[in-house]
Amino acid sequence: MSPRRRHGRSRMVAALPTLVGVIVAATFLAPLAWAVLASFRPAAEAAQPPLPPWPTQGFSLDAYRTLDSASGGLWLHAANSGLVAGATVVLSVVVSLFAGYGFSRYRFPLRNTCFVLVMTTMMVPFQSILVPLFILLTHLHLQNTLTGLTLVYVTLQLPFSIFMMRNAFDAVPKEIEEAARIDGVRDLRLLVRVLLPLVMPGVATVAIFAFLNSWNEFLAALIFLSDENKFTLPVLMTAVRAGRFGSIDWGAVQAGVTVMMIPCLVVFLALQRFYIRGLTAGAVK
Amino acid sequence: MSVTSLPTAAVAASRPKGRRRRRRDLVGLLYVLPAMALVLVFFIVPIGMTAWMSLHNWPLLGLPRFIGLRNYERLWSDAGFWASLRFTLVYTGVATVAIFAVAFPLALLVEKPRPLASLLRTAFFLPVVVGFATAALLWVWLLNTDSGLFSPALQALGITPQRINILGTFDTAFAAIVAMVVWKVAGFTMILLMTGLQGIPADIVEAARIDHAGPLQRFRFITLPLMRRTLGLALILCITGSMLAFDQFYIMVAGGPGNQTLTAVYWIFNQSFVSFRLGYGAALSIVLLAILLVLSLGQLWLLRDREDAR
Amino acid sequence: MHSLKSLLVAATALAGLVLPTLALPASAETLTIWSRSGQGDTLEAVAKAYDDTHADKVSIVTLPVDEFVQKYATAIAAGTAPDAVSLDLIHTPAFAQAGQLEDLTDWAKSLPYFEALSPAHLSVGTYHGRIYGLPLTTETSVLAWNKDLFARAGLDPEKGPKTWAEWKADAAKVTALGGDSRGFYFSGACGGCFIFTFTPLIWASGGDILADEGAKATLDTPQLRGAVDFYRSLVAGGMVPASARTDTGPDFLSIVGGRIGLQSIGASQIGVLINKYPNVHFGVTLIPGPDGGTSSFVGGNNIVVTKGAKSVKAVEAFMAYVYSLEGQRLMVSHGSLPARSDIAAEAMKGQDPRYDVAVAAIKVGRTPYSPVFNDIINSPNGPWAQMVNAAIFGSDPAAAIKDGQARMQDIIDAAR
Repeated sequence: MSPRRRHGRSRMVAALPTLVGVIVAATFLAPLAWAVLASFRPAAEAAQPPLPPWPTQGFSLDAYRTLDSASGGLWLHAANSGLVAGATVVLSVVVSLFAGYGFSRYRFPLRNTCFVLVMTTMMVPFQSILVPLFILLTHLHLQNTLTGLTLVYVTLQLPFSIFMMRNAFDAVPKEIEEAARIDGVRDLRLLVRVLLPLVMPGVATVAIFAFLNSWNEFLAALIFLSDENKFTLPVLMTAVRAGRFGSIDWGAVQAGVTVMMIPCLVVFLALQRFYIRGLTAGAVK
Repeated sequence: MSVTSLPTAAVAASRPKGRRRRRRDLVGLLYVLPAMALVLVFFIVPIGMTAWMSLHNWPLLGLPRFIGLRNYERLWSDAGFWASLRFTLVYTGVATVAIFAVAFPLALLVEKPRPLASLLRTAFFLPVVVGFATAALLWVWLLNTDSGLFSPALQALGITPQRINILGTFDTAFAAIVAMVVWKVAGFTMILLMTGLQGIPADIVEAARIDHAGPLQRFRFITLPLMRRTLGLALILCITGSMLAFDQFYIMVAGGPGNQTLTAVYWIFNQSFVSFRLGYGAALSIVLLAILLVLSLGQLWLLRDREDAR
Repeated sequence: MHSLKSLLVAATALAGLVLPTLALPASAETLTIWSRSGQGDTLEAVAKAYDDTHADKVSIVTLPVDEFVQKYATAIAAGTAPDAVSLDLIHTPAFAQAGQLEDLTDWAKSLPYFEALSPAHLSVGTYHGRIYGLPLTTETSVLAWNKDLFARAGLDPEKGPKTWAEWKADAAKVTALGGDSRGFYFSGACGGCFIFTFTPLIWASGGDILADEGAKATLDTPQLRGAVDFYRSLVAGGMVPASARTDTGPDFLSIVGGRIGLQSIGASQIGVLINKYPNVHFGVTLIPGPDGGTSSFVGGNNIVVTKGAKSVKAVEAFMAYVYSLEGQRLMVSHGSLPARSDIAAEAMKGQDPRYDVAVAAIKVGRTPYSPVFNDIINSPNGPWAQMVNAAIFGSDPAAAIKDGQARMQDIIDAAR
């Protein structure tokens, strides 16, 4: 075997994983692409199998019009969802930033108990506390408000967020804080000015998941909200699934999936350069 | 968590320094206060209410009646609940194995710097960002017999003589749901595993290579042990998520065919919101919570161990 | 939680005392009515007309049908339910039994046309002799057929089946057209659809599924077995699309695709077909029994008033409008059947003749009575949906029926 041929073969062997990866990646992306492409088919084509997925009888926005005609209109529900998701992101980040810092840097009484308590939140079937939550929200005059829904979402986000942020702070060398303290920077200023930039990847990770989960949640939104003009997008989607006139409109389903998906993709792609670093600092070490 | 290391440090400190430290510690409490307040109001209180409700015959409509532990007694002989729990365990096992079987190779693939690695990583991760309900709805369409993708495609390729209803029999429906979940979740597990792989010091792997350890041996004796904590975290997230599975079964198959895909949470949901037996549903929730806590305990040890070692 | 709820009630009552004094005396009241999805736009249309002609306003909130009962019950538990709800009539006994509805007996009996109100609605709207629900929208199940497919299959496009034998023969001929064409469709995993379209077969055979005001399940009867066997033979003959087996309801109106020969539909869907799917030419007939005879499910929604509602007067005013000739005409033109038999002919004037079949169905139709309807019939995991699905598609129908009978009786007994 000549050295040159050996070289050629090893290059092929080296390229093989990439090739497999590209094929698998295409498989992973296919369902998403299929939905987006199919959503632009005219109403007459919507019930046909998506072979091929793209419109063959002309590009059409029929499906989006159907979606928009349901209850309060697409934009209203999208705005509600955006509001809830945005508020959940901000609150989750602020609360878990403080809590992560507290858990990482301070030794206070009941610290471990508190931490375990937060983590337990993850293990309770959310459906089973739905009714108590509903009664509680009513008592707090937060039932049927986007504020109440947001607070519930933030709570559901806390275990993951606090876990991430605590580990992000753990990864920051203590010397940095000590140096800053000597320079007279303390407390909140220390946290915001000195430490925040260092834990940005963690913050981005928390923000991404807070956004995704609150943007997509449907059961709590359905139970807690009762004004049609307060409904979030996922509630609209359950109506689309049920079919307004007794038969499911697959075009509206595809359009709905697309509308639900696009903001998630945008948020993720915008923040993704942080998220791997965030998970790296947060999850492993 | 480092409960043991704390007192020694405190004792060793001189008295005034100790007082300052205590004041500083209370500042820590302030930092975690907002989080704890939220958890208290929106989690502990509802759980307490759930526990209280579990001691009652509590119809969603009408007046509750205290019945002590009778809900828990009834639960013993509730064949439906145990069947749903058994199914949940089977699903958790299958889904966890399937997710890791896909995620681990993908993690190995994107971990090393190779052409397109970051692009591939993004592609594998994209389904994660789609919500569970949205993903389920998307797959309901793809799996539809006449308007979907798979069964017309199978027919067009000549694999099946006519269009088959994939969700019509348990085996195919279960396989389809597991496939959907793997598609949706594998990217997340992959990222976790990848960060674990990248945390393994290169010199150790190199040393093993010099000692003529084969790739399988290196994986078994170096990679896996050094990734123990990452694996623990990935496992705990995967198992907890699967044990609480509801959306995909509710939206895609409504527990069918033949009630064979009712998960534990689905059973609880039905007891509470279809049969309106809130008290009984609450008792089931408490039991499920206990089971989950026990299941997670071993894995919590993994995470706990990690902090002590530091 | 007891104290939580009473605190809540106190707070609401307090708010109720304080708020009216703050409100301007002339300000119009807005009555909110919850309604379930999949019912077309009948209520919205009537509400809009009402708003245009009255000082009070009515706002309709449409909620997903699958989660409707859960949502209303949860809202009642927390004291946040709306004053009025357009409730699937079969759920009226459940909410009345729980003591969550206002007694409407006196007002109802004061109506001059009380005797003419739909008896099916009133039968399920009555609990222990008192009336808690009154007819709002009316719906019957009828059998529709696709005239174009019938013509292509060499059948008389103007004649629907009158017996099960004709039904099966027609379905077979349409199926024989080949391609995607199938003779018959039904949502095979949908308890609510089955009760609507399948029980008429049992009733037309002389059987029933419940007895003694819902206290006894009577599934294991020759009539039910006969109806199951009939559907089984259609499935076995390849006349039903494979997708039917798992349809939990979303695809109920499959006939709109133009590939289904026969399908049982609701009266409100006649209008949907006419207006939204003008290309589907269809006829309707009464759902036949095995050798003639007919039956139908009389469904629709009852208006119910939540216990403790403040604006009972507003509900009554709105309902008086609904029951007026103008209101009934509007309802009819938006897909509902008239709730009053005395002015039915007048309200139906000028409507598509196919509605006459749906109106005729009211006379032969029935409505099952059960305080645990959601649990035994509508739940996709309940005994009815499971039993019919397994009996029609499974390998052992006899065992499925026996099992369903036992499970249904268990639930009924547990709730008593």
